[in-house]
Amino acid sequence: MSDVKKIKVEICLGTTCYVLGSFRLSSLEEQLPPNLKDRVEVVGCACLEVCHDRNYGNAPFVRIGERIVDNATVEKVIEVLQEMVAAGGSNE
Amino acid sequence: MAENDVFVEMECFQLCHDGEEVCGDDFLFERLEGENRHLAVLSDGLGSGIKANLLACMTTTMALEFIRSDMDVMLSAETIMDTLPVCEVRKISYATFTVFDLQIGGKSRIIEMDNPPFIHLRNGKDLKVSRQAMTSERWPDRRVQLSEIYAVAGDRLIVFSDGVAQAGLGQPGKYKFGWRREGALEFIQETIAADPAISARDLSQKVVYAARSRNKDNRCIDDISCMVIYLRKPRKLLLLTGPPFRAESDAAYADLVRNFDGKVILSGGTTANIVSRELQRPIDVDMKLVMKAGSLPPPARMQGVDLVTEGILTLTDVTQRLEADTPLDTPVPLVSKEMIELFRQSDEIELVVGTKVNEAHQDPSLPVDLEIRRNIVRRLKNVLETKYRKRVLMRFF
Ligand code: FES
Repeated sequence: MSDVKKIKVEICLGTTCYVLGSFRLSSLEEQLPPNLKDRVEVVGCACLEVCHDRNYGNAPFVRIGERIVDNATVEKVIEVLQEMVAAGGSNE
Repeated sequence: MAENDVFVEMECFQLCHDGEEVCGDDFLFERLEGENRHLAVLSDGLGSGIKANLLACMTTTMALEFIRSDMDVMLSAETIMDTLPVCEVRKISYATFTVFDLQIGGKSRIIEMDNPPFIHLRNGKDLKVSRQAMTSERWPDRRVQLSEIYAVAGDRLIVFSDGVAQAGLGQPGKYKFGWRREGALEFIQETIAADPAISARDLSQKVVYAARSRNKDNRCIDDISCMVIYLRKPRKLLLLTGPPFRAESDAAYADLVRNFDGKVILSGGTTANIVSRELQRPIDVDMKLVMKAGSLPPPARMQGVDLVTEGILTLTDVTQRLEADTPLDTPVPLVSKEMIELFRQSDEIELVVGTKVNEAHQDPSLPVDLEIRRNIVRRLKNVLETKYRKRVLMRFF
């Protein structure tokens, strides 16, 4: 496990996501449980371009690795991260 | 330097007499683009407060009107003096003025009545101005002076009200008779030596604060105004917002950024993504800034770009703040502060609006369609031109 690539979490700060609450995810990093702390990198990003596409559900969006999470909340993101870590990969 | 490569920055900074809400000095600017002419007037009304303000405003308004229509100098001055209401206390009607009628690449005229004499600086050097004095038969105690100069790129023209010239009057030291032209000139020359490209806006502010600091207890015992006109190489700014109409144009759109000689703002997530992809420059968004950014998404960074922002919300906020005469009550979001500062520092602003129609949006109530983008950019252009005297070009891509 020593040099596992960190899982990248990109929080969308585009218009739609921001208006619909992505700014609430700014505390995500502090709220990560201890087992995730060193395995995750949290960054902001410009519009993920999925807000135009109905296939992706509702904003706000977060991209975890390659996966788009809709209706993102801190809890939901942590849940997905835990699943991914349990499955043993940094990417899906 | 080619004529149209000169931008005339005209700024006037003022502080009111302590305890007054309006300034007894007034100024007006006008750019007559078609004629390549720039007009500026500073007037100091007798006394302070609302009465002085009224005298000064009437004077600037009339003076601007007369100079624009090339009315005879003496006749203009007399008309102004005849028109001003008489002060009940002092039984005189009085407002001093300085009028600049600048012709870029040609002869400029300056008309002065009783304001401290204007200063013409070239490379920091105080140029000698020859003044022709004229007297009015009807107003023999007033002195009107006319000068003709040739202003070139890099020159500065500076005029201030008595509040500057008489600053520190009665204080011990070198300037016990007030700062006067010599004192202010020395300060201005030192300031320019330390910062040769200092903007008119910054210089006028510095002079006014320095003048106030000479007064006892840093007080404003008079209205203090300083007008600076700076003929400089234009500072350019490019703002891109919205994706181009056709995806095939993305590369050309991004090239605008690559080839631009000046500051660049990208406003809009898709816009930033396109430029990032085409130029292979990543966008850097600091999540930690979100908490400190106020009510808008935080500013982001990209190499070779001065500011990357969210689109519509940010442009709307910035436009509203630029339009509001007083700062809006809410604290200014970080990103708006940065964008406003970039606008204020620039002379020529190019607004490029990408016109791709958004695909059906998941929430139609959100204000993200093209019409809104176009309208807000139009409003932005308008306020930058009328209120901040910027040269603004808007085009669709
Ligand atoms: S604003 Fe978040 S995906 Fe577009």
